[in-house]
Parts: sequence; structure tokens; C-alpha cells
Amino acid sequence: MRATTADREQSATYTYLICLAAWAIPGAGHLLLGRVQKGLTFLIALTLMFLCGLWLEGRLFPVEIRQPLVALAALADMGIGVAFFIARQMGAGAGRVVALTYEYGNAFLIVAGLMNMLVVLDAFDIAQGRK
Amino acid sequence: MTSHFGLMIVFALFVSVVFGTLMRDEPKEQRRFGAQLFAAFVVGGVALGWILYFFPL
Repeated sequence: MRATTADREQSATYTYLICLAAWAIPGAGHLLLGRVQKGLTFLIALTLMFLCGLWLEGRLFPVEIRQPLVALAALADMGIGVAFFIARQMGAGAGRVVALTYEYGNAFLIVAGLMNMLVVLDAFDIAQGRK
Repeated sequence: MTSHFGLMIVFALFVSVVFGTLMRDEPKEQRRFGAQLFAAFVVGGVALGWILYFFPL
């Protein structure tokens, strides 16, 4: 039996909601799709990596269009989801350039965000039935 | 923690755990692939460090 247009639209909406959840909270997409072990691993590992980045005095970059590299770093930082906005609201992630671990902190924050983007794509594939 | 090696180990650990989990479905395969990635990161990092040691800026 063929899927109706309404079914397809509902399925697409569900997929995008899963992706939104996966972006907002690392691992949430997999948890909603029943992949509990993967979801919990992503939740713990990515959240810890983000917190390590803050602890190492990395910077949560602002979106500055005039400085393309800073804007790209900000996009990567935002990949971690809601945690980025909570941390900024709390005044964390100011970044201390003279700190010995500043660049390490940036690497942890940026890579945590980028890996969460990959996790979102994986959740998208699972929701689409490709995996 | 300010040890470069220690931070590299922690970084490699996080990345290996996430990629191991992402790229494999079975827990046993995830552990195996994650361990291989971790070893590659650490050995590669140390090897690259020694290579760069001979080319000072």
C-alpha cells in the first residue's frame, strides 16, 4: 500500500522533530528512537567533553559575521545544542586567552559541537529507516 | 590539568568513544573500534610530536 501525502508529511515532521531533539540534547534523538545504549553514550560523552572545554577555559565564540573564522567556530560551538546557550547565559565560556589550556578548551568545545552534528545526522538516517 | 599528553589522552578518549559508538552497532564491535581509534590517536599524536621535534619553528 502506498503512503499518502499526509503520511509522508507526518513522517517528515517526525524526522525533523527527532533531529531537533538530537541537536538540543546530545543523544536525545537516539533515545527517542529506542537506541538507548547509543543515546546514553552520546549524552554522557558529549556533555562531559563540552564541560571539559569550559573547565579548560575555552571560549564560546560569538557569531561575528565580520570575522568569518570566529563565526564558523561559533557555529561549531552551537552544535552542542541547548548547553551552549545555557553556558553563555551563565557567563561560562568567556575564554581566558592567556590560560595555558585556552586552545585545548576551544578544541574540546568545537569538536564536541561538530560531533553532535554527526550524531544528529545519524539520528536522521535512523529515523528515515536507512540504518 | 595542564599536561599536553594528558589532555591529548582525554581528547582521544572522548572522540574514540563517540566515533566507536557512531560507526558500529554491536557493543562488542563498538569497544573494539573505539580501542583501535584511541590507540591510533595516541600513537599518531606521539609519532607526529617526535617528527615535529626535528623541525623546530
